[in-house]
Amino acid sequence: MVHITGTMVLQVVVSGLLVGGLYALVALGLSLVFGVMRVINIAHGTFLMLGAYVTYWLFALAGLNPFLSILISVPVLFVVGALIQRLFVFRVVNAPELSSLLLTFGISILLANLAMLAWTSDYRSVEFLTGSFIVKNIAISKPRSIAFALALAITAIAFLFLHRTKIGKAIRATSQNREVAEVCGINVRRIDLITFGLGAALAGAGGSLVSVMFAVYPEMGQVYVFKSFLVIVLGGAGNYPGAFFGGLLLGVIEGLSSLFLTAQLTEVVSYVLLVALLLLRPQGLLGGRT
Amino acid sequence: MPSLAKVVLPTGILMAALAVLPMFSSGYHVSFTIQVFMWIALAGSWNIISGLTGYVSFGHVAFFGVGAYTSALLITKAGWHWLPAGLAGCGPAALLALLIGYPCLRLKGPYFAIAMLGLNEVVRALVSYFEGLTGGGSGISLPPINATVPVYYAMGATALAVVVTTYLIINSRFGLRLISIREDEIAAETMGIDTARMKLYAFLISAAFPGIVGGFYAWYASHIEPMGVFPLITTITMIIMCLFGGAGTVLGPVIGATLLSIMQELVWARFLFVHQAIFGALIIGVVLLMPRGILGVARQYFRLPRTV
Amino acid sequence: MLPIVRIAPILLTAAFALAATSARAEDIRIGASISLTGTYAKPGTYTQEGYLLCEKEINDKGGLLGRKVKFVVYDDKSEPPTAIKLYEKLITEDKVELVMGPYSSPVTNAASTVSEKYKKLMVASLAATTSIWERGYKYLFMTISPAEVYLEGMIEIAAKNGLKTVAVLNEDTLFSKAAANGTIDLAKKHGMQVVFHEAYPKGTTDFTPILIKIKSLNPDVIAAGSYFDDSVAITRQMKELDVNPKMYGVTVGGDLPEFYKLLDKTAEYVYGSSQWEDHLPYPGAKEFLASYRAMWKHEPSYHAAAAYGSCQVFAEAIRKANSLDSDKLREVLLNLKTTTAFGDYAVDARGFQTAHKMVVHQWQNGKKVTVWPDNLADGKPKFPTPPWNSR
Repeated sequence: MVHITGTMVLQVVVSGLLVGGLYALVALGLSLVFGVMRVINIAHGTFLMLGAYVTYWLFALAGLNPFLSILISVPVLFVVGALIQRLFVFRVVNAPELSSLLLTFGISILLANLAMLAWTSDYRSVEFLTGSFIVKNIAISKPRSIAFALALAITAIAFLFLHRTKIGKAIRATSQNREVAEVCGINVRRIDLITFGLGAALAGAGGSLVSVMFAVYPEMGQVYVFKSFLVIVLGGAGNYPGAFFGGLLLGVIEGLSSLFLTAQLTEVVSYVLLVALLLLRPQGLLGGRT
Repeated sequence: MPSLAKVVLPTGILMAALAVLPMFSSGYHVSFTIQVFMWIALAGSWNIISGLTGYVSFGHVAFFGVGAYTSALLITKAGWHWLPAGLAGCGPAALLALLIGYPCLRLKGPYFAIAMLGLNEVVRALVSYFEGLTGGGSGISLPPINATVPVYYAMGATALAVVVTTYLIINSRFGLRLISIREDEIAAETMGIDTARMKLYAFLISAAFPGIVGGFYAWYASHIEPMGVFPLITTITMIIMCLFGGAGTVLGPVIGATLLSIMQELVWARFLFVHQAIFGALIIGVVLLMPRGILGVARQYFRLPRTV
Repeated sequence: MLPIVRIAPILLTAAFALAATSARAEDIRIGASISLTGTYAKPGTYTQEGYLLCEKEINDKGGLLGRKVKFVVYDDKSEPPTAIKLYEKLITEDKVELVMGPYSSPVTNAASTVSEKYKKLMVASLAATTSIWERGYKYLFMTISPAEVYLEGMIEIAAKNGLKTVAVLNEDTLFSKAAANGTIDLAKKHGMQVVFHEAYPKGTTDFTPILIKIKSLNPDVIAAGSYFDDSVAITRQMKELDVNPKMYGVTVGGDLPEFYKLLDKTAEYVYGSSQWEDHLPYPGAKEFLASYRAMWKHEPSYHAAAAYGSCQVFAEAIRKANSLDSDKLREVLLNLKTTTAFGDYAVDARGFQTAHKMVVHQWQNGKKVTVWPDNLADGKPKFPTPPWNSR
């Protein structure tokens, strides 16, 4: 029988926090897109996958440091996101949510399968850094802690961008009230374009960071979509800082439920939490346009 | 209005042709048609909640899977005949719909979709967890079937029942209330419609049929496992078939399911490595170019009654 | 008038007419569905290559019963229901005279319901799950070792070295679960104590909580019923969390060259198991290797060897029976004892494989060294596995 000790709990909490930083980063992108356009972007996980492949190929072919490759995956995914917005998504911005859900689902199937055709469904990994620092019996994984620090930094930059720049302020204004923003002279079509690009870029950055921890393959992004919803709901968002804490919280909750129950029930715990929060705190969700 | 003879006659001929098909064709034709029936029933039942009320059930495969497990357990553990066992699949499926629908149908629009999106994964995890009952990840093996023709008729009858039910709903006050929820829920409420109750009724009906389909499927497939009966892609396929034919109509899901199954069989099977990508592109195309489906397009050229 | 109602029967008829295919009547056609796309695309492709190489060799040597053989293969997309439909098509529509198995246990499980219904004998080349042979089917024959014995060698080595405790984790799917349960039974049989067993859902990437629980128990042996990606993740995270068993092995994935390529030195000392290795001294193995390379321009995997070997067993049975009749073939296959390039073949009354041997290997200095069983081994296990901090 396993006796769960304080050290074990602490270890799981630490690992959970480290992964949680990544969840926060990925969820932030989804939250932005939903806030501004009311589009539930199922393809978000696919952008994460593309970001991971950018890092993988730069590492495999050119030996580029995977953490540095974020500087490339972010702009690449921004362009991909903006293109997809311009070609497809803008048509469903004001349509019923089924349209945007299905459209982005279609995009995600298409992109994941194109990735499979181009790069096969083989699992790949970026074996850049392994092992961990041991602090008082607690192992702190090297790749995870660096990924965590970078996720934190990117999230902070995104916050600064949203609060300090003119475009950032316009994005937040559009998210608060699209009609009023438009009346105030904000070009919401342009804001949509930038926001979608930004959302994809954040997912891409997340993908670069995921690639140093977990396997890279065309369908790797799927799990992150649902996790991101959960993060947004946990954070009581609209509220972008909330999404950040939601991410950390989710990482810890996942770890603890797997530790105290079993790995199989982790998803059940997350789901019950999601539904309960949706029901009990619906007003706290995703910015106030209800 | 089309005359009675014009509708009844070809429909009758089609039904008669389908009824005698197993006598004149190979096992493959029967298997293929079973699959078409299955998709008609699934797309049609999704249509009842989502096509009519606009509430998007993204977890509909959960009801299918629950039905499959119910009938598999009744057959293997309780020794039931497959027919009542399959029909019994509707019970737990409706119960699950009640459990999840009662609270979640209060959620508006996107939040309902998000809540439903995780449902199939959770039911799958629970089924895997209670392995004493369900065999966990190994699934349940049923006795081999020696005749597919009875399943053909059972699945065909289920598909027919879904279509008839949809027809009856659309032509009833209940149906009008559901459609008013889709068009403007707040207005519907103001007019005194108990929207929560209407949505729940629609959801229960919509979940019961996939339970039966799943029940028959378990017998037909002879083996079920969690990964096999709860995949999200099944939900997506139901939705896209329904949309392709025309959501919120009686015949839309029938047309969509039939055409897409045939396309899948004849066309995509020849493009081995790109058929999934084609499917993705098709979804994009349907959503952007023909959101009202084939019937929606047909309506622009022909005068079709509202109740088609 | 509804145009769609009018054309639907026509469409349906057209669908069926088009679906029928034609082929030369004099060939013996062997039908199979194989996962060429979807989850199992990679091993599925190897399976197909094994079959086609076998077809070529049989035909080069003059065919079977004086006729050429021809495989009719369809893609089942790694989906069991699709395989059901395809075997129906193969048997009733294409009227193939023989069938062979698809890739993977779930797909074989489903496909065999069809072959059994039509009393077509199926040699299941790549299904390793015992439960498939517990359904009382008459016409289903197994050629590879069952999941339950994948880690037999590792447990035997552990027991021989006096190890006492085992922790088992597995993906909660048909094959992995059977492998884990088999390992547990074997460990108990060798008097070892199973101190931990937990399943994790398919798609798990973070094994921290499970590994921490295992670490707190400090078991001598860790056995993972896993596929490739989870094998890699578990190994890597064991290093990160400083989990130090004396032996650690995985069921699937540990045998692929990619395993070492991805993990590099982290993969050292890891045990893995395989149905087949290209250096094993089976009759015809060298020739198989050479002609496979010549035909497909790459190295075979065990899947290819299993498909090829199973096809050879089938061919031998057909020659012996001098008939394509299922009942006659069944009699021959039940009593046949033979060895192909893939290894030994013999089955019990259920058609369940009893002769084929798994091999266990260990990664040593970047090389996969076969360490069990002794008569096939080309090296000794490096025991015990040193802790991470002293490597």
